[in-house]
Amino acid sequence: MSFYLHEINRIKNTCYSNSKQIETVIRTRNYIISNLDKELNLDMLSDTGFTSKFHLLRLFKKYYGQTPIQYLTDIRIGKSKEYLKKGMSVTETCYSIGFESPSSFSTLFKRRFGRTPSEFQKEQF
Amino acid sequence: MKVKVVSIPVLDQEKALTFYSKILGFVKKIDLPLGDNRWLTVVSKEEQDGTEVLLEPSPIHFEPAKIYQKALLDAGIPYTLFHVDDVQKEYERLLALDVKFSMKPAEMGTVKIAVFNDTCGNNIQIVEML
Repeated sequence: MSFYLHEINRIKNTCYSNSKQIETVIRTRNYIISNLDKELNLDMLSDTGFTSKFHLLRLFKKYYGQTPIQYLTDIRIGKSKEYLKKGMSVTETCYSIGFESPSSFSTLFKRRFGRTPSEFQKEQF
Repeated sequence: MKVKVVSIPVLDQEKALTFYSKILGFVKKIDLPLGDNRWLTVVSKEEQDGTEVLLEPSPIHFEPAKIYQKALLDAGIPYTLFHVDDVQKEYERLLALDVKFSMKPAEMGTVKIAVFNDTCGNNIQIVEML
């Protein structure tokens, strides 16, 4: 067995032995991905994961390295780029990925990518 | 600062270009002559404005790079990793193209991973988020 496979097995046994916790966070992630266009918050996600919200917060961070809301924002903003590239309007994109207002979407988009959604879209054509 | 290019050391640039484009499905982005070698980058087909991968001939010219690359290879350690949507599907596709895997698809917590040999001196890991 190679050094790497040995290390993988060691890490798996020490960090990933609790299959119930892993199932919970994977279920939560899948729920987030399937419901991007809906209003999602920690209370809702913890109901889906059958756990308390603070426990879910800790678990999600432990296994994905981000809080569920940080993860949700990353996925949404990533999806928005796909939609804008396909020619969807900024407003339509904003609501398709669950943002509450085009202005908050544009502000976040600019903070992440250095340009507004409209500027980004113009660059594509 | 922006992350535009990351490099992978390769023993043969032409062979690497063939493997990374024909087998893995990357697309050639920049190819310019630099003396005996080339500044040669590829990008993901699905993300052509994404980070470029520089196929860098460092092991040919710099002995410590060659030693480091071989040590990683022998230990089975991946030089880098690429994300895929479905590790099992990609494993089967690459296996059919005669790519050699040192690690079959395996779940590890919230990811599924597998490791293959890029025929240019490196182990490469593919990762699927679960």
